[in-house]
Amino acid sequence: MRISVDLDLCQGHGVCCSEAPELFAMDGDKVRVLDADPTPDHHAAARMAAKYCPTRAIHLQEEK
Amino acid sequence: MSGATPAISVPDLATSARGGKPAPRLGGGLPLLGHLLDLRRRPIELFWRVRNECGEIGEMNWAGTRVVLLTGEAAQEAFFRAEEEQLDQAAAYPFMTPVFGRGVVFDGTPEQRRQAMRNQSLRDKMMRTHAETIAVETRRMMDKLGDAGEIDLLDFFSELTLYTSSACLIGKEFREELSDEYFRVFYELEKGTDAIAYVNPHLPLPVFHKRDRARARLVELLTDVFERRAKREGGTRELFDVLLQIRDAEGKPRYTIDQVTGMFISMMFAGHHTTSGTAAWTLIELLRNPGEIEKVRAEVDAIYADGRDVSYQALREIPHLEAGIKETLRLHPPLIILMRKVLYDFHYDGYTVPAGKLVAVSPAVSNRMPEVFPDPDRFDPARYAEGREEDRHVMAWIPFGAGRHRCVGAAFAMMQLKAIFSDLLLRYEFELSQPPESYCNDHSKMVVQLRQPCRARYRRRVTA
Repeated sequence: MRISVDLDLCQGHGVCCSEAPELFAMDGDKVRVLDADPTPDHHAAARMAAKYCPTRAIHLQEEK
Repeated sequence: MSGATPAISVPDLATSARGGKPAPRLGGGLPLLGHLLDLRRRPIELFWRVRNECGEIGEMNWAGTRVVLLTGEAAQEAFFRAEEEQLDQAAAYPFMTPVFGRGVVFDGTPEQRRQAMRNQSLRDKMMRTHAETIAVETRRMMDKLGDAGEIDLLDFFSELTLYTSSACLIGKEFREELSDEYFRVFYELEKGTDAIAYVNPHLPLPVFHKRDRARARLVELLTDVFERRAKREGGTRELFDVLLQIRDAEGKPRYTIDQVTGMFISMMFAGHHTTSGTAAWTLIELLRNPGEIEKVRAEVDAIYADGRDVSYQALREIPHLEAGIKETLRLHPPLIILMRKVLYDFHYDGYTVPAGKLVAVSPAVSNRMPEVFPDPDRFDPARYAEGREEDRHVMAWIPFGAGRHRCVGAAFAMMQLKAIFSDLLLRYEFELSQPPESYCNDHSKMVVQLRQPCRARYRRRVTA
């Protein structure tokens, strides 16, 4: 899985930081991806972060 | 900070010297007034005309103010990705200046707006507290309803959202000072947003006279509140108490009550008529589309079957209710046009909008573009179900705007609406008092409101 964030869309709500604190942190008024290539045990949390992002700024590229 | 690679070319300072074609002008304008009368009568029709006659970029004339409307996903994306330093909000809404008053800018500078999100009440962490506050306010409104009766949807939701917004965003003690007179004053302020303000916002017209009287009354009411609060013992010091105590170098108050009133209006305004109108329309749409209210009620009943309270956690997953609200927002976006003043030349697809003009996008048009939303006029909450997810088109589904110009209160508003309807539908049954097609918006002002009467009957549910 690859995580990317569209920083033009991010408004710094911080929902991803609550959903997946191991993967996302706030950096001023925008999010910073701590781990863009998470291990499988963090995939569920990453999906929750993408799902609940109020601005749909998080994109996950899932490996098939 | 560098942004992600944009999908299309984004105008920036480096390329602003490059001149392009001017946007095509919409025909049919009157001398001097241009398209202003159409704007005041049938604004959405006017915006569609721009799209149909000029294409994805076209210029209107509002009594000399040139407004370039961008429609379609690509053109809207150029607007939404542009920095606030290029497309400025403050200068685009002259009809708001007399409402906020002197010394109160529309919404702060772009940097101040970003700050507000960084350390303020709209962050995710605060939402848990807000959810409980909203539930308390909804129950207080329901206590006044009794077993059965009839409400005017505009009045009911205006009053409720005044209390929820003030309790969440300003302070719980301050909220206790508010009464139903405040929402009536707000209503007058909202009705004072006549587009004739593009000629001059201070013309001697009844609509502006009423607006100014309403604002003066609000200053009077708040003066009273603050004087009382300054004298009292104990209690918490909330936002406005602190602001009024700030002194400048000479020991004089930094802010007058008039300015604090302006801050109150600007804090409340964005979240008031918008949320209140959406709540009313959600109930109307759920009631006038067969099967919808039953589906949402069954969902709410199941979630709260264990007797738990309305809370942030409970509000996370209510898909049918959420889809109903989203579909309501798509069909009835509270803001039908979003405008920005161009501070340095804006380029799109070979066209240039020079500094000084306004650029705009229209949620009312975008949300019904048939290429993105099949059968666009139909209320169809299934659009948001897994597999379709039509709101994935973040540059087309734009009731809250998008990108750098997205409403910072969107998450708060959605949570608030879900909280209100959870409680209302658990405890009451509603039915429309009027023919379903008689409910409509009044578009004669820039702030769109439901046209009264817009009534509904209610009856307390018989529950175990």
